[in-house]
Amino acid sequence: MSAADFSVEIDQNEFLPAGAREVNAIVTVTSADSVGGKQPAGAAEIIIVDCSGSMAAPITKLIQAREATAAAIHAIRDGVAFAVIAGSNVATPFYPADGSLAVASAATRDAAKGQLRRLRATGGTAIGQWLQLARSLFETRDDGLRHAILLTDGRNEHESADDLTAAIAWCEGVFRCDCRGVGTDWKVDELRQISTALLGTVDIVPDPAGLAADFQAMMQESMAKQVADVALQVWTPQHATIRFVKQVAPTVEDLTARRTQLTPQKGDYPTGAWGPSESRDYHVCIEVQPGSVGGPEMLAARVSLVYTTPDGPHTLGQGNVRAIWTDDEALSTKISRQVAHYTGQAELAQVIQEGLEARSHGDTSAAEDKFGRAVEIANESGNVDAAGLLSKIVDVDPGTGVVRLKAKVADADAMKLDTQSTKTVRVKK
Amino acid sequence: MAPVPACPEGHESVATDYCDVCGMRMEAPDLGANASAASPPSDSPVQVLAPCPRCGTPGLSRFCESCGLAAESQPAARSVATHQAPPGTSEAPTDDAWTAVISASRAYYETVLAGGDIDENQVPFPNEYPECRIPLTGNKLRIGRRSVSREVTPEIDLTGPPADPAISRLHAVLVAQPDGSWAVIDPGSENGTAVNGAEVAIGEVVPLRAGDVICVGAWTAITIVGG
Repeated sequence: MSAADFSVEIDQNEFLPAGAREVNAIVTVTSADSVGGKQPAGAAEIIIVDCSGSMAAPITKLIQAREATAAAIHAIRDGVAFAVIAGSNVATPFYPADGSLAVASAATRDAAKGQLRRLRATGGTAIGQWLQLARSLFETRDDGLRHAILLTDGRNEHESADDLTAAIAWCEGVFRCDCRGVGTDWKVDELRQISTALLGTVDIVPDPAGLAADFQAMMQESMAKQVADVALQVWTPQHATIRFVKQVAPTVEDLTARRTQLTPQKGDYPTGAWGPSESRDYHVCIEVQPGSVGGPEMLAARVSLVYTTPDGPHTLGQGNVRAIWTDDEALSTKISRQVAHYTGQAELAQVIQEGLEARSHGDTSAAEDKFGRAVEIANESGNVDAAGLLSKIVDVDPGTGVVRLKAKVADADAMKLDTQSTKTVRVKK
Repeated sequence: MAPVPACPEGHESVATDYCDVCGMRMEAPDLGANASAASPPSDSPVQVLAPCPRCGTPGLSRFCESCGLAAESQPAARSVATHQAPPGTSEAPTDDAWTAVISASRAYYETVLAGGDIDENQVPFPNEYPECRIPLTGNKLRIGRRSVSREVTPEIDLTGPPADPAISRLHAVLVAQPDGSWAVIDPGSENGTAVNGAEVAIGEVVPLRAGDVICVGAWTAITIVGG
């Protein structure tokens, strides 16, 4: 892997009015058509299937979960290590049953698929246990790319929220996890807690019939990853404070608290695994000591993409966030179009979640207030998906633009809006 | 002696475009005065400055800004640098701030030796162990050894030197409690974790108080202060 595999671009208005402290920039990281060179890191996949009793009510859930697992197994490349975990109030290595990882081949894929009809639904739900078993299975090998798919249909009822939080903490940095909830009896917040910490996605599959296609797509996307654990490294000048570091595209993920401190002025933020031709945007906001008008230009942040190998850290790309203080208002009042756009997208995610929260408490006026703002941002920024999902929750009066909650909202639609609230669109060209 | 690039504030900097310390744009040094100043930092002779006042690493710059760079020539430098305080805690911790103090415990080492799991010749007690203080911030801090292959760096990085070989890569986790206190959990380390001399069960959440000593590996002691 080399610097040619990634590009780092900065979009900002570097001109600040006298006395201003806040410096904002959008960092766009793009990977080349091929990353990782000729030596792909070893990969491991674990599929965690909820086998609690409720998966048998109706039985189609369990049947579709088996088929989805088979579809995911089918998409695993030869040579990739894999396993299937059956999750209930305990976690059981289902395939291979001896608690090892199998190496994918036509024979092992068939063997695993052949076992799936023996998956039974019984017992409760303790997701933390499932994650812990996944971690210990992954740790039987030294693969660089580790990914899990977690499927559940219910709430985490058979362990405490603290148990789940501790289990997630143990798994952080060890593997990535995409989470799917089938039906509407599970909690978006629980799965989002996992997918956020483990750098994956969360989504609802309201109809079990949709599971197989979704599992296959997730597995194919994971198989395309070639580089594990790339970090966004941010250097800031002495006396500067990082207000936030957020991924803002394709989804909003606040990374501020995820910093690994390297020196007092330098820290790493995890970006997870990368495949070819991926592009992600990050919003970096730094508070600096204001410089003088007409004085020297200041470097407010040096943002690098860093990949660590046994030889040490390698910088794959770098961009400079600058600050120049000026009394020319024509320069300093201009806001970067990208910064403005993503500030809006982050607000969109927030007001959708706040609107759903207010709605769940029966606070109609607060909910309509929040959703009103959400509809406004979604339309202005061209976030068609968000506008479409919002239209299933609220009615907008075409004349006045007034937003009203629909009298009847399907649970699945509210949960879909919740899981998709962090998805953003890029600036319209 | 190689000329120091000219930061307007007078800081010493390895980078030649902006100052490593304050970020100010730097004037390029006069080429006529010394041609080597124009070469990129990686090619210029390493200029040895005073050691980092915090981690003791022989410095490339006064503030040990370049621990990452030094890591290529000195494997120890990067891990030592991670012993430094998390963001926002650059000031000295106040008396009541929860802090983990890392040191080597002769007493614990003796008990481990007595247990017969390790051999004194294979795993000697370290001659020197620079005491290291890590403020407890955030929701959780992982205790363990850095894994280069998996690129995992625990917040409390006990990679050393001196290296305690009996510490697992993820050995234990300090978890913030809702009341502001802290607890320790051993998620399944190879060689176990003791709090105040008592072995902790795997997965057990053990509440901590000021003065508690968590022992891991062959001789590493983590004393909790403050709170």
